[in-house]
Amino acid sequence: MIAFENVSHAYINNDQALVNDDKATVAALVDVSLRVEVGECVAVIGPSGCGKSTLLRLAAGLIAPDRGRILINDLELRPDTLMQARQRIGYVIQSGGLFPHLNALDNVALAARYRKREPKWIEARIAELAELVQLPVATLSRYPKDLSGGQRQRVSLMRALMLDPDVLLLDEPLGALDPMVRHGLQEELRSLFARVHKSVLLVTHDMAEAAFFSRHIVLMRSGRIVQQGAYEDLALAPTDAFVSEFVRAQRLPPPAVRGRE
Amino acid sequence: MRVAAIRSDSLPRSPGEGQGGGVLAIILLISLCWPLQGTAATVIASKVFTESVILAEAGVQLLQTEGQPAEHRKELGGTRILWSALLRGDIDCYPEYTGTLRVEIFASQTLQDDQQLLAALAAQHVWASRPLGFNNTYVLGMRREQAQRLGIDRLSQLAQHPELRFGFSNEFLQRQDGWPGLRDRYRLPQTDIRGLDHDLAYRGVASDAIDVTDLYSTDAEIAHYDLVALADDAKFFPAYDALFVCRDSVAPAVRDSLNRLANTIDASRMSKMNARVKLEKQPEASVASDFLREAFSVHATQTTDTRWSRIAKHTREHLAMVAISLIAAILVATPLGALAFYRPGFGRVAFLIADVLQTLPALALLVFLIPWLGIGYAPAIVALFLYSLLPILRNTHAGLAEIPRTLRESAAALGLSAAARIRLIELPLAARSILAGIRTAAVINVGTATLGALVGAGGYGQPILTGIRLDDLGLILEGAIPAALLALVAQAGFAAIERRWVVAK
Repeated sequence: MIAFENVSHAYINNDQALVNDDKATVAALVDVSLRVEVGECVAVIGPSGCGKSTLLRLAAGLIAPDRGRILINDLELRPDTLMQARQRIGYVIQSGGLFPHLNALDNVALAARYRKREPKWIEARIAELAELVQLPVATLSRYPKDLSGGQRQRVSLMRALMLDPDVLLLDEPLGALDPMVRHGLQEELRSLFARVHKSVLLVTHDMAEAAFFSRHIVLMRSGRIVQQGAYEDLALAPTDAFVSEFVRAQRLPPPAVRGRE
Repeated sequence: MRVAAIRSDSLPRSPGEGQGGGVLAIILLISLCWPLQGTAATVIASKVFTESVILAEAGVQLLQTEGQPAEHRKELGGTRILWSALLRGDIDCYPEYTGTLRVEIFASQTLQDDQQLLAALAAQHVWASRPLGFNNTYVLGMRREQAQRLGIDRLSQLAQHPELRFGFSNEFLQRQDGWPGLRDRYRLPQTDIRGLDHDLAYRGVASDAIDVTDLYSTDAEIAHYDLVALADDAKFFPAYDALFVCRDSVAPAVRDSLNRLANTIDASRMSKMNARVKLEKQPEASVASDFLREAFSVHATQTTDTRWSRIAKHTREHLAMVAISLIAAILVATPLGALAFYRPGFGRVAFLIADVLQTLPALALLVFLIPWLGIGYAPAIVALFLYSLLPILRNTHAGLAEIPRTLRESAAALGLSAAARIRLIELPLAARSILAGIRTAAVINVGTATLGALVGAGGYGQPILTGIRLDDLGLILEGAIPAALLALVAQAGFAAIERRWVVAK
């Protein structure tokens, strides 16, 4: 379970801020509350800069909220609980975030080895995960630069799942893939989510992908949640003009024609 | 956005805190314990010029023939370096000139005579031998044939020959204790005065272009060109009497031996010995032993190394300097570079200091270190260590700075502690850059270590120094070629390490 309770966060405007001492801050999230239940996949969608990635980085404990609190299975993210909480979190980003100096296997095994798990256990777990993400075990001896985009995301997913986290945080995990690969992986991921029974928080900019994965879509704008619900709710009963405009801009067939996924 | 990260976790502690000081202490210990003067032998040093090397060699050989262990530390540098080394006890004795002591060492005191000079030396716990018998000061020289024809052997006689053409070194023309003072003292009437280069003056006299020039009284060329040095009968030039200065802790037997050399070397003998080394290219050791045989009928054993054994020795010395300083710099600068990255405030200060260190001229730094560290490996290694810091520091910082934020965050999200992230992810990712910095430092070090010879650390700089002094291209190359090869080997070695162990991104 992931819960955001009245979370606000402002960040320093530019990456140069460290150099310039320019403390101009921009509100990235304003008073956001959100729950992702166990076994549920919540898709967060919205235009660039709406705060959806900030939401995910907050959930991963990479940044701290200015106000409000974030719970991972009733464990509040605080500096002192962070290391503990991260055992329950799996985090996948668009580029995969694989470490280039380690081969795929070492990337996957890194956290388990760091936590001194049995080599036998690690080996078995990797075999299990390779099957789950449908990756030939031989591929694991390759370095990230020698993997295809799809393989990289599979390895990244294995790495995130290695310690069997309760929560999966996926930031545009399929965003960098070409359409064919992406389509295949979407199918696989959805069935995987159904099997692993975890709380999944997925960030995407693609309404079709959000609708495909989730009955609970969260549409954000300027750091606030504008509307949440199933795709049909957003398409057929938009709460304001921005929602209908955003849905229309995605050029999806209307829900009635497209049918229910 | 990094600054907003959760504090306690995302700001790592220094990976090397508490490590740097210990390492430095070990390095210093190693370099201080290095067998500089392993035995109780009397260490006699020489300056970087031929006469000094011959005199020191004569002193060493005389002690040895009398059964007293002695060693010669050749070509340590200039007066300042030897004087500091003597006061610190790194060396026991070296040949010096009374005028130099007066003008350079005790410049602030006006010492009227040799008695006061001896007293000033004693106050510094330095003992001086009796003068060796020559005064290496300015003299005026003429062709022997012309001097005999005109019947001139003293400066005062020049006044009777206004037709003589004078050619002086430019420095001599300017100095108050040069031509202007000389002219006034002896009331010299000559008007044909030319300024020229010191080395050209000999040829000018020899080729009859000029008649009289300024020389140093023991210059090798005096004998070579068959010139006579005119006696300074009005005692105008200050005395530069040669003698040995020693720490007053040297054994009485050493003092007695060095005093046996008193009044055994006159200016012409010294100038002949200089000529044998400089013009006839004979080793100082054999010139010194010939002198001892003539003067004392003793047979000194002189050891002469073969070229290959010299190269092997210089390679060992050079490698020791480069390796120790480089390892120390890696151990100190890598953690500091990381700390400079994680703590930008500290980083600014660290870079400022490293930048300043880098701009110090090597020679100045070495001389600066001598009062603290003495001579030998210690100052050379510390100087090389300081020069190695900046490239490694910079490249460590740059290597860490270029790691993408996404990778840092991926490592953090995996639940690795800050220390583990640095060790397992960030330093390996920065390894290529760090290695490039180490490689730069190594190559710079191989070159800079040739200056180690100036402070008695030996290495490839030793033959270069001797070669320059004797104008011997072979000796210069004996140091320069191995140094260049070593730089190439270092370059290639690090390239191989990079290919083998650092995975491409």
